[in-house]
Amino acid sequence: MDQADRLEAKGLARAKIRAKRRRTHSIRRRTIRGSLALFAIVWAVIFLQLVSGNDPALSSIPQAHRRPAAAVKPEPAREPEPEAEAEAALEAERMPEEFVEEPEAESAPVEEVPTEIEPEAEPEPEPEPEPEPIVTSAS
Amino acid sequence: MIASAAVSAGPHIFWITSRAAGTAALVLSSLAVGAGILIGARGGALKGFGGDTKALHEALSLATLAALAVHGVALLGDHYLHPSIFDISIPFTGAHRPFWTGIGIVAGWGFAALGLSYYSRGSIGQSRWRSLHRFTALFWILGIAHSLGAGTDAGQLWFLLLLAVPAAPALVLLIGRLRRGRSQPARPPGRPAYGKTASLVSSSRIEIATAGQASAASRISS
Repeated sequence: MDQADRLEAKGLARAKIRAKRRRTHSIRRRTIRGSLALFAIVWAVIFLQLVSGNDPALSSIPQAHRRPAAAVKPEPAREPEPEAEAEAALEAERMPEEFVEEPEAESAPVEEVPTEIEPEAEPEPEPEPEPEPIVTSAS
Repeated sequence: MIASAAVSAGPHIFWITSRAAGTAALVLSSLAVGAGILIGARGGALKGFGGDTKALHEALSLATLAALAVHGVALLGDHYLHPSIFDISIPFTGAHRPFWTGIGIVAGWGFAALGLSYYSRGSIGQSRWRSLHRFTALFWILGIAHSLGAGTDAGQLWFLLLLAVPAAPALVLLIGRLRRGRSQPARPPGRPAYGKTASLVSSSRIEIATAGQASAASRISS
């Protein structure tokens, strides 16, 4: 084997090593990309599952141990019955304005109307505006 | 709408991340085990990928370890389970499904130890490392058991499909490998695989020589 053949063999070996390194790098890059893509897809699926309220963590375990819901649609609040509503309106009419509470959110349960009615308080007369001071020429 | 959904799912970010990383680790580990068995079988069945199954096996194993690390560490940020560092690192001590979680922790540590031992196989010894590395398949099976026993998404169709698609071929390859290993005689320790061919050649030569001697003896006797 002369010098030229040796050089040629060395060159071939180097080229092979370089090609192998390139292949290895390519495989690593593809694997990293693929892994990240897989992670992102699975993350998105679980996220959408949670947001849509179909997450198994929220549905498979008893209510007491349930993970607090993220975006589970709340059940529509029970509307007060018409009779109770009418009674409340009557009561509001009877009671002075300062005792009438602001109606709470719809989801709050309807409170029972108290049976005992407090004696009606006379509405306080509105304070009369003070008379304007008389301006004289001396002042 | 997306922004409001993101805000409402905010407290669960770590929980979602941990679940996604666990699922990714499961898929990647199945692929890594499959590639590893193909290396052992010297099949070279992944030539379309570039021909270097070993590089693929290594990359998949490292990606699996990274996903496992994310799977464990992300749980530390979850406000609902709120596990301690000991709960996620010491098996069978956590409050949440201790048995199945413990199996998962054992599988994770086993994967890490046997996977990273590749880089110190010089000091362990090649043949000893190879025989130890075979136990990775056992930890892979433990990982699958953990996912089915403790996984939140274990009952979901998409999860079962994602688990089965890469795991089934790896399992078939593993069973084939175990069967073949049982049917073949055990290789002497430390002897390279190519020695088998040489021993076969030498044994056949001995047989030929014996046959020749027998025929010569029969001729002489006749």
